[in-house]
Amino acid sequence: MSKINPLVFALGVPTVVIAVLVFVVVGRSGGKFTNLSPFSLKSYRQDWTALQGNSYRLDCKVEQQLAFLEGKGRLLVVSPIVDRDKEMDKANLGRLPVFVPADTTQSFEVGQRFKFKVRLSRDLLLVEDLERF
Amino acid sequence: MRTSLLVCLGWCALVAQGFAQAPPPGASVSGGGGGDYKSSTAEGGADRLFDVNSDSVDMENGSMQWKGKTFNLGNSRAMRMRFERYLSAPAAGGDMLKYQDLLRRIERLLAPNSINASNYLANQQEAFNLLFQAAEYEVDGNNCLTIATQVQKVWNMRAEFRQLEVTKNQLEAIRKAQEGVVVNRADKIEAANDERSSQGSSKGGAPKLAKSTGGTTELGYRVKDEQRTQAEILAKNAEMTALGLKAQIEFQSQMVGFLLARRYRHCIISSAFYRVLFKSGNQGIKVGAKEVKEFFPVSDFVPTLESLDTLSREAMNDVTIGMHTVDDLVKQGELYSAFERLQETYFLGEFEPSVMMYEQAKKREMLELWRDLRELQRLGDEHDLANVEGYVNKVRGRARDFPGAAILSKVNNAINASNMAVLSAKQAALAGDTAKAEGALERATKIWPQNPAVKEFANQVVSRQDTLAQKIPEFDRMVAEAKWRDIFNKKLDFALALAQDKARSEKLRQVVNRIGELDANIQKAQVLASQNNPYLAWDVIVETSRSEPDDLILAKTRSDVAPLVADYAKTIGIAEKLEKDGGDAAALTAWLQAQDLNPASPACGAAIKRLAASLAQGAPAKASPVAPTPPAAGDDVVVPPKR
Repeated sequence: MSKINPLVFALGVPTVVIAVLVFVVVGRSGGKFTNLSPFSLKSYRQDWTALQGNSYRLDCKVEQQLAFLEGKGRLLVVSPIVDRDKEMDKANLGRLPVFVPADTTQSFEVGQRFKFKVRLSRDLLLVEDLERF
Repeated sequence: MRTSLLVCLGWCALVAQGFAQAPPPGASVSGGGGGDYKSSTAEGGADRLFDVNSDSVDMENGSMQWKGKTFNLGNSRAMRMRFERYLSAPAAGGDMLKYQDLLRRIERLLAPNSINASNYLANQQEAFNLLFQAAEYEVDGNNCLTIATQVQKVWNMRAEFRQLEVTKNQLEAIRKAQEGVVVNRADKIEAANDERSSQGSSKGGAPKLAKSTGGTTELGYRVKDEQRTQAEILAKNAEMTALGLKAQIEFQSQMVGFLLARRYRHCIISSAFYRVLFKSGNQGIKVGAKEVKEFFPVSDFVPTLESLDTLSREAMNDVTIGMHTVDDLVKQGELYSAFERLQETYFLGEFEPSVMMYEQAKKREMLELWRDLRELQRLGDEHDLANVEGYVNKVRGRARDFPGAAILSKVNNAINASNMAVLSAKQAALAGDTAKAEGALERATKIWPQNPAVKEFANQVVSRQDTLAQKIPEFDRMVAEAKWRDIFNKKLDFALALAQDKARSEKLRQVVNRIGELDANIQKAQVLASQNNPYLAWDVIVETSRSEPDDLILAKTRSDVAPLVADYAKTIGIAEKLEKDGGDAAALTAWLQAQDLNPASPACGAAIKRLAASLAQGAPAKASPVAPTPPAAGDDVVVPPKR
């Protein structure tokens, strides 16, 4: 019976674990819209005009549906998901409205988390694409 | 009110009369009043002071009633002066006693028990002489000389009467001689006629012519002479009768005059002389019988000399008792009653020794009281009610029996009635009823002309007119400038000034309601802030500020609360600005941020709801296909430049 070199186990298992973890982490932190910049609520509040026309990635949680118009869409209030430990992200705490056009079939419940690809149409954040996570 | 006015006016009328009393109009010596010497001063309090018909002394008309008769004392001013002079004059001294003694001696000389046939003339003469001595005293006022003159006239009349008697006797003798001549002549004529008749019948045949009877004409003249003498005798008889009657009438007139002038002792002395000078057949009263009868309420009463004596002595007695009463009351400390008794007694018998000899110190006290009473009366005449109380208390200080309570009660009633009338006038004026206000004010003034409330009301009326002239333009200006708070602060002034202007009054009412509501909101905000709920307080303030942006009180409250809600206020401010600028989504974001601070805010909720609807309506149904160029990965969020 051939014995597997223990060194293989000693190096291989951690490597596999690390690879899996890297995959998982990279997969989670990246996903869709990784090519977009994250939306800054702070910047929006300071001067939304400077952000007009831009597209951003917005990781958020649904807080409330303010309006729904059949065939038109719905206006949701979401709160960006931020790292509360980071001082810089604290400035992005809060709620903001996003408009989800009617062409999406996605259902929205309060508390659900989404990655939105949003574009600033004038001052309104229009959801162009989304992914639940 | 009307009753009070009548009471007051009645009081005023009574006060105007003062404590002097008025007899029936036109009362005179012979007038029949209903009074009584028993003065109504026995009656109580203010009635005694003010009842015009009760007292025996009437200062107003200068008369006095005694036993149903009115004595005329001269005009009221002279009467008051006389009484005042009496009060201030020193008491009569020792001479008075000598004078009284002389009068008593005259009475004794003429008294029925002392005069007889032997001393008839001597006593008359001695009494007559004493009259001249008595007349030398000042207090006599030469009235004894009047009596002496009267007596002298009777004596002269007697001499004249005797002369007439002689003349009459002589005429009677002449008449008798003339009668004898007439008879003689008539006899001769008859004898001649008889002789002629006898000659004719004795010769027969035709009658012869004979000498006719002579002396008829002479007889006629003699008869005429006798008749003339007879007429002269009758004329002398008539003259003697008239002379006697005249003497009686003059004497009796003088006696009644003395009685009515309250010279009782002179009346008695005159009566005594009359009784001596005239025969018993002439003792009846011919002059003043009617007046004397009125003193005695008996239907078949026959006035005599004794009636005059009785009246005089009774008056003298009343005066003596009156003065004793006065003295006793003074000793008891009841000065007011003493004063009243003295006043009555003085006017009944001012020439009586007991009155004239009254102590000066006591009279002086009463003089002071008299002056205070006259001042009180003056205050009453002028309806100076405010000062009456002071004077009543002053008089009370002098005379503890002065009936001041009743007067003060009536004064208070009058003051109340006047004040009520002023109040009524004010109410009527405020209601715009000018006629009623004038009437009420007139009543108030009539009752109490110096009522300070009347003056104050008059000033208010004048001031109101001025105010009306000023307030209306001021109100219009404030309305134009939207100075609601200033209008509210002057709401009472404006309410009075604009009472008659319905349109402006309505406007004022709206302003008052508006500011009232504003104040309620301010108070609500203050309460919320004090309860550690500044965000809701701010909401109230902001909401209220929309309708009342210029109110200073609200602004102050706002500035007080603002530091407590700086972040909230700032956020709302941004939200409002963004909404105003058309950034509805950004505004909604700001409102959501504000709601995070104040979750219960109705303002935030309403704004969010409003903007949500707006945004949903205006949003595109599809996301734009435009694919913008993404910013470089890994870059931070672009920070827009500061505007």
